[in-house]
Amino acid sequence: MKALKLKKEDLYTYLESLKSYGELWGPVSRGEHYSYAKLANVRDVALQALRTIIPPKKFFVPPRFNMFRYSEDQYTETFEDVKPRVLFGIHPCDIHGLMILDELFLDRFPDPYYKKRREATAILGLSCIPDDKCMARSTNTHAVEGGFDLAFNELGEEYLVWVGSSLGDDLVRLNIDLFSEEIETSDVQKYLEWRRKRDSRYKLNFDLTGMPDIMELSWDSPLWDELADRCLSCGSCSMVCPTCNCYNIRDISDLSLESGVRQRRWDSCMNKEYALVAGVHNFREARAERLKLYYTHKLKAFITEYGRPSCVGCGRCIDTCPVSINVAEVIRGLKGQEVKL
Amino acid sequence: MIASKTQAAKPKVGFYGFTGCAGDLLAILHCEDELLDIFNAVDVRSFLMASSEVHDDEELDVAFVEGSITTDHQLESLADIRKRSKVLVALGSCACFGGPQTARLGYGDWKERFKKVYGNTKHTVAKPFESRPLDEHVKVDYYIPGCPIDRYQFFFALTRLAQGMSVELTTFPVCAECKWNENECLLLKAQLCLGPVTAGGCDSRCPSHNLPCIGCWGPAAEANVASEIDLLKERNFSAEEIVSKLRLFGGAAMVRRFADLLGIKAEVPARRPRPKKVREPVVAGKAKKKSPSKRPAAKSRAKKR
Repeated sequence: MKALKLKKEDLYTYLESLKSYGELWGPVSRGEHYSYAKLANVRDVALQALRTIIPPKKFFVPPRFNMFRYSEDQYTETFEDVKPRVLFGIHPCDIHGLMILDELFLDRFPDPYYKKRREATAILGLSCIPDDKCMARSTNTHAVEGGFDLAFNELGEEYLVWVGSSLGDDLVRLNIDLFSEEIETSDVQKYLEWRRKRDSRYKLNFDLTGMPDIMELSWDSPLWDELADRCLSCGSCSMVCPTCNCYNIRDISDLSLESGVRQRRWDSCMNKEYALVAGVHNFREARAERLKLYYTHKLKAFITEYGRPSCVGCGRCIDTCPVSINVAEVIRGLKGQEVKL
Repeated sequence: MIASKTQAAKPKVGFYGFTGCAGDLLAILHCEDELLDIFNAVDVRSFLMASSEVHDDEELDVAFVEGSITTDHQLESLADIRKRSKVLVALGSCACFGGPQTARLGYGDWKERFKKVYGNTKHTVAKPFESRPLDEHVKVDYYIPGCPIDRYQFFFALTRLAQGMSVELTTFPVCAECKWNENECLLLKAQLCLGPVTAGGCDSRCPSHNLPCIGCWGPAAEANVASEIDLLKERNFSAEEIVSKLRLFGGAAMVRRFADLLGIKAEVPARRPRPKKVREPVVAGKAKKKSPSKRPAAKSRAKKR
């Protein structure tokens, strides 16, 4: 990994040159929120954006997509939106989210639909200063050491740019004249100072050590019933979570009845149908059971299996749930503090 | 596969309409690009809006029925359709839940309301009664909700039925699709949005146009109406306003499932007796419990969270 410098005033020029690699996407304003969109005009990019409504997982596992077209005697995989893409402005927590999805979708049983999209996409990270909903420091996902091709760290009038892969190196070379290799001692000081500033801005700080133990002890906690009274079972928390990855599959026949598509779409363990099996048995019929499953997965089961929580502290559930059920409130509740619903 | 080339092997299908705006049947006729395929996939024996040639004395594989039931004549026709059909599908919100004309179910005596609007009218054509959805009278196998229905959900149901398969439509709330479409949450903007308690499948059409959900697809499988009411009250909507919105399209389904929350428990009239002309009557509403794919009639929230 090497570090370079880019003048802030040259950012747009550089972004424009990235278009020769593929489609350029980045966060843009959507009302009072943000969403990743194709940047026809590089100046549309919202550099101040913290979290988008849905995370970058949408690029690799779109909310709905057709896996293949089938007919009576064959099937053809479509890979409709697989094309070279550059995603700019991905914050460290979301990069960690993608690294978690990589483990799930690329390691033991590679998912071809995820893999093709992932391989065609360059990840360009961007540093951020947290707001009152960010809790990435608690989940240790507030900084990145990998998982990106380039990472931009704002530093006064410049960006420090880390090159994280050979693709990243190629991307720098698309307009190498804009970059400088001269890192000075004062830059190191400035960077360390910036990190201290970032770390001091976190308002949500939780000690997550021993979370699996606490969850195990809380199996019969009345907290789950209290949350279930309030939960709308709308599934929004799953949709906006960078690491939620469950999906459902259905075949949609053409009207000819001779061909059709197999469609994959996001699912949520908050849906009552989720644990419905043959014979109309539902092994998580109660809403409280489903809430418990969701948070057990984030704060216990994933830690046991992968050594880290599957919450990356992005704050989207805090921003999204209409009835204020979110990972911060659940952690508070589990630790015996008052929960504000 | 049923899609054989001969007309005889195709499933026989009928389309019918009772009290409603006919918007669902019209939505099907509006599928200009797919219309030939629809008529090719199934053998349409009756579709008065499309053709005056109807065969209403035949057995049907599937009957699609729009509208609610408001007169004795309609009830007889419905009973006849039910008797002739292997599968009966309620098409659109009026057929599924009763529609806006059922919004006042349980709100005082129907006769008094009728009199207030029409005066002392003498019924000459047919005897009217309080509007009810189909399943308050006969067994309904599948529900395609919407005001109007979504054509793709209709195609999905039609192709599944034409291939002899069961139909599983979306039961989770509008919010999920609203997130897929990356809309800003209107509830968080303090608007009276019924997305969390309303069945999805509409692709969050209204919120995607910055209009709050009015619940026209009926209650979601597991609508937490109590929490939705609390949430809206916190946003300073009056109980009256909230209940009125919930009832506008929620119809009988909303009243039956959430009467206590709507504050109308004492006034909900019993389900209507079965029509006498049905030889082998089916107990109304029972179909709902058989399969979760058929829009389950969830028990009250107190029992199941």
